[in-house]
Amino acid sequence: MWKVIGGFVGGIVLTGVVGWLMMPSMMFTERESPFDMEETVARIQQNVQETGNGWELSGLRNPARAIQRDGGNVLPVMMVEACSTKYSKPILNDDSVRFLSILMPCKITVYKKNNGKVYIGTMNAGLMGKMFGPLVGEVMGEVAKDQVNFVKFDPSKPAPKMIEGVPGGDGKGGAAGGGRGC
Amino acid sequence: MLNCRTLSSLMLAFGATLAVTAAWATSPPASQAPAAKPAEEAKRSTSTADHSKFKELQRSFTSGPEVTRACLTCHTEAAKQVHRTKHWTWEFLNPESGQRLGKKNIINNFCTAIPSNYAFCTACHVGYGWKDQNFDFKSQANVDCLVCHDTTDKYRKLPGWAGHPPYRDTEFPPHSGKIVKAVDLKTIAQNVGKTSRETCGSCHFYGGGGDGVKHGDMDSSLANPGKYLDVHMSPETHNFTCGTCHVTSSHDVPGSRYTPTAVTRAVPMRGKESDANPATCEACHTDKPHSLKGAEVKEHAAKLDDHTVKLACQTCHIPQFARGHVPTKLLWDWSTAGKLDKDGKPFVVLGSNKRPLYDSKKGDARYDTHVIPEYIWFNGMVNYTLRGEKLDPDKVVKINSFEGSPTDGKSKIWPVKVFHGKQPYDKQSLSLLIPHTFGTDEYAFWKHFDWPKALEAGMKAVDENFSGEYGFVATEMTWPITHMVAPKDDALRCTQCHSKFGRLQAVQGIYMPGRDGNRVLSFLGGWAALLALIGVLVHGALRIWSNRKGG
Repeated sequence: MWKVIGGFVGGIVLTGVVGWLMMPSMMFTERESPFDMEETVARIQQNVQETGNGWELSGLRNPARAIQRDGGNVLPVMMVEACSTKYSKPILNDDSVRFLSILMPCKITVYKKNNGKVYIGTMNAGLMGKMFGPLVGEVMGEVAKDQVNFVKFDPSKPAPKMIEGVPGGDGKGGAAGGGRGC
Repeated sequence: MLNCRTLSSLMLAFGATLAVTAAWATSPPASQAPAAKPAEEAKRSTSTADHSKFKELQRSFTSGPEVTRACLTCHTEAAKQVHRTKHWTWEFLNPESGQRLGKKNIINNFCTAIPSNYAFCTACHVGYGWKDQNFDFKSQANVDCLVCHDTTDKYRKLPGWAGHPPYRDTEFPPHSGKIVKAVDLKTIAQNVGKTSRETCGSCHFYGGGGDGVKHGDMDSSLANPGKYLDVHMSPETHNFTCGTCHVTSSHDVPGSRYTPTAVTRAVPMRGKESDANPATCEACHTDKPHSLKGAEVKEHAAKLDDHTVKLACQTCHIPQFARGHVPTKLLWDWSTAGKLDKDGKPFVVLGSNKRPLYDSKKGDARYDTHVIPEYIWFNGMVNYTLRGEKLDPDKVVKINSFEGSPTDGKSKIWPVKVFHGKQPYDKQSLSLLIPHTFGTDEYAFWKHFDWPKALEAGMKAVDENFSGEYGFVATEMTWPITHMVAPKDDALRCTQCHSKFGRLQAVQGIYMPGRDGNRVLSFLGGWAALLALIGVLVHGALRIWSNRKGG
């Protein structure tokens, strides 16, 4: 009997440990960008605008600037924020999942590492959505499909201008309200 | 498979993290650093002279040399002192290598060289009128006092004007529709003062043809830097000017990129004659800076001090350059220059960082900010590839080579910017060529985009032949990184170097724990440690066992 219970508990612990270890790579993805910081951000912004489905840019945050204002340094990091009312509305209409507004707007982060290379970080919206029931799962599944397009680059296209006139795009580190999309 | 409960709790933790992140990211913005220059600063001038009260300066001036003549009525020796400096001669004889260097002589891989382009390049000369090889270097009136001593921030010299400022309202660049106001020489002359970050920066920030282009650790962001950018120069901290470190005597500014001080052997002492470079970190901080003060753990400070034997201070304390959001140029490919649009006009393609990816006048380019330096052994000796020296077109030509080795006892590991280029060379003489770029004549490349003509005119300006056959050779030029010192908390961490793929990955000739290792030795060491542990455990067990048995 004790062996069974022990095995069961051990299995749960093992699952928990494995889940804990795998969680970051399942929930978030990181890929190297072939472009520099500004061009990566600009191309993502362009892709967001071209994806359709109501997607609009709602911000460009630069948390590194906030640290600079406090006298410190971190390598560049910029977060492109995008939102689509087509996807946000059903979630914001349902009291049981409204708390997921904390995940809005959709963010794609672009950052440089100490090896001098630029990386793109995204959230696995599809997997996350599945954890919150069929409505959110369906919506986030659609978001995930569009998200793939956000980071699909065509190097033959000329480098677009980085759009800084969106909240946070002034490089002041933070942005609130007034953003389009959501 | 993942346990759902585990996932839910992880999601809660994740949500909380996001909330914290959002709160952090939306924290109320402080005022945009750096702070504006306080108005009282000007009033706090320590000068004993109010130049506006000088009779010689209470008149109108029509040219720069007129102002200089007025200055020289009191500062009788100033121009003669300037005449002896590199800022005036643009020439330097390296006593160790015997190479004749200076802007006048070298060919770099930016704008390449000044002969045949004098009027353009000499916008940054501390003189007036250097438009060709006949410039009078002995004329005192040709010395430009205002470019270094202006305090109004209104003095400006334009490329193409041979070092003169605009004396009348001028459209610049030509046909741009932008008007540059004539400089008010009287007001500027009456407000002269000490040099400042702005005056030094008016040239040194813009070397190579634009803001931040050349150096990487010097650009317009240093005019009024935040603490994050330069802990010495920021008005929020010590408010150093360039002259605070480059302590100048008789107009001779110490600190040279032709003979940089790689290892500080001596520091200047007040009251003692010395030719030691005052513009080194050690001149203030000594060679044991970490244990001086503020070190919480003495052993840690001592360990850091050990590093100063082999590491330049800059290696750890300037983690990246071009941190002030001004992109620095990393690549200049002249071989693609000269393309024209469908109307036969030159064009520029801007990148997302608002810097040119392509310019018909200059070719392909690449710019970036927050650049991770490369690291090399450096002993202060720099050798240049000069005009006429043979090159191998199949290899990358080093415009300058930094000497150094881990074993010469004179070198330290330094951070550098390596600038890559492609520039014209003579296929027959196998040497670098000088293009004539600036001008309205039929040979000027920026006007007619004709390489053979431009190269012929460029070489003619130095009385050398051009065979008519040219190609483009890959070049690189190295620049020591020494400005933009970050606050101490932002210095490199131990593991940023002491790791397999750390900053010093490519630096050879030194054993670095964490980076280097011997597999066999590690294997044997591991087993030795394991066996020792087993031995201790067995020994302990036997002791316990024998004790119990005996009891």
